[in-house]
Amino acid sequence: MKSGNRVLNALQGRPVDRPPFICAGGMTSMMTVEAMQQLSADWPRCHHDAKEMSRLAEGVRELTGIENLGVPFCMTVEAEAMGARVNMGTRESEPRVAAYPISRISKWETLSRLSDKQGRIGPVSDAIHITSNRRLPYPVIANLTGPVSLATSLIEPMVLYKAMGKEPALVHEFMQFLCENLIFFGRLMLQAGADVLTVSDPSASGNILGPKGFEAFALPYINQILDALKDHCSPTMVHICGDLKPVFSKLQDLHTRAISIDSATSIAPLLSVLRKDQVIVGNVSTHLLMKGTPRQVERASLTSLKRGVRILSPACGISPHTPLANMQAMAESVRLPLSPISG
Amino acid sequence: MEEKEKQIICRLASGVKNMDEKMTVEAANEALVNHIDPTQAINNGLLAGMNQAGLLYETEEYFVPELLLCSDALYAGLDVLTPHIKSVASKARTRMVIGVVQGDTHDIGKNLVKLMFETSGFDVLDLGRDVPLNAFVDKVKEVQAQLLCMSTLMSTTMDGMARVIEKLEQEGIRNTVRVMVGGGPLNQSFAHKIGADGYAKDAIEAVRTARQLLTSGTEDILP
Repeated sequence: MKSGNRVLNALQGRPVDRPPFICAGGMTSMMTVEAMQQLSADWPRCHHDAKEMSRLAEGVRELTGIENLGVPFCMTVEAEAMGARVNMGTRESEPRVAAYPISRISKWETLSRLSDKQGRIGPVSDAIHITSNRRLPYPVIANLTGPVSLATSLIEPMVLYKAMGKEPALVHEFMQFLCENLIFFGRLMLQAGADVLTVSDPSASGNILGPKGFEAFALPYINQILDALKDHCSPTMVHICGDLKPVFSKLQDLHTRAISIDSATSIAPLLSVLRKDQVIVGNVSTHLLMKGTPRQVERASLTSLKRGVRILSPACGISPHTPLANMQAMAESVRLPLSPISG
Repeated sequence: MEEKEKQIICRLASGVKNMDEKMTVEAANEALVNHIDPTQAINNGLLAGMNQAGLLYETEEYFVPELLLCSDALYAGLDVLTPHIKSVASKARTRMVIGVVQGDTHDIGKNLVKLMFETSGFDVLDLGRDVPLNAFVDKVKEVQAQLLCMSTLMSTTMDGMARVIEKLEQEGIRNTVRVMVGGGPLNQSFAHKIGADGYAKDAIEAVRTARQLLTSGTEDILP
């Protein structure tokens, strides 16, 4: 089975010959310092350069055995284009939001609307276009920052969380605006040729928002994005950080089949509450990936798979200092036979 | 009268616990009208309510948005009551330094911990997020802090905490300050391994742990 079909089928819960290994991009960036050295990459300049992004995604895929191609290498593209000041990072750190453009929710109308002229929106969709035109046997993943995470990149999170209780109608207006902009960017990336859409919403974490907050302010907007873009791509995936236990009962309402989880979430109890057609992506500890040995990474990968993960992936954004050998160990582990879990 | 006093104190507490700013402010004003000692109204009313909110957070009935609204009600009540406290030589407050270690900009957890320490009467100096390791040491030295709290959500920046503790040792001030660490990927054994004095899984436990640490070894914290 070709890697491309394997990933696409697995994400849709269809049978595959073996589990695929993915690293979607965006929040779970594919890039590491060691890969950059081997590929003579120029961070942070490459974040603006479509050709470089495409070359690096392909290069790191070859070095590691990741079975997809994913850009960008950070989750600041949307926030920057809407007005956040972004520190582009260094050779060893990814771009991060340095200053929020608004201090009150009521100021949301002063934010810029996304367009391909704004910030790195154009280069990212061009990078997808270039990658997709190479017709490699690996799916290209479009990475979208989730609505709550985009919100907390534009305004101090504490202000947003408080407003959810005090001015819910205003927060809904703001979220609706963000959602429309995300749909625009998502459509642009899918029209540029991406095969899969991933929405990563770490700030929608169940243990921050709780079930009520998640149901009111995360779920409907993530679903709105998935619904609006479902005609442009086959599989979709949603990544949420933290322990999802408080929102377990809501996850079956997500309009996606593939749910990517952090190592903080336990697999078995999650499996018991998901829909029959939903699959878990994840969830190898990123700390282990940075600090552990390839043998330990292999063991952790096999444990995740035995517990029921159908698509192997890092649990969260990997450290740029993750050794290539550990990524390779993940790639090899999906090819190993699974023995039953002992103990 | 005593019954009425009890009732007002009770409403102060439930105003905070139920995120009801209006009720809290009304009860605070009534406390003043009825000549209830403001210090008592704060301790037995407002802070007791915040404590109850903390317990609801620990049992996952409340989450971050709810806890923040409780703290807003608490502060609204404090605004009414504190100007009426007769200034008496109050016990010196414990001075602490807090921040998110360099390389990480996630500060929701840190801000919650800060909030719980503030509402528990600590004097909190917040260095913010993405804090250079030396800045922790310099600040602890400068203000002679008795407690240092460091957090990170990213497994990739955890090691910075160990380096801060090493630096405190190099500066010869390690035994003047209790060090606590916290954040998503951490646990007790990591805290132990890097030589921190304490670890807490959330903001509520952090205050409890800090109090234990500060009372258990006061002999070498006092100047």
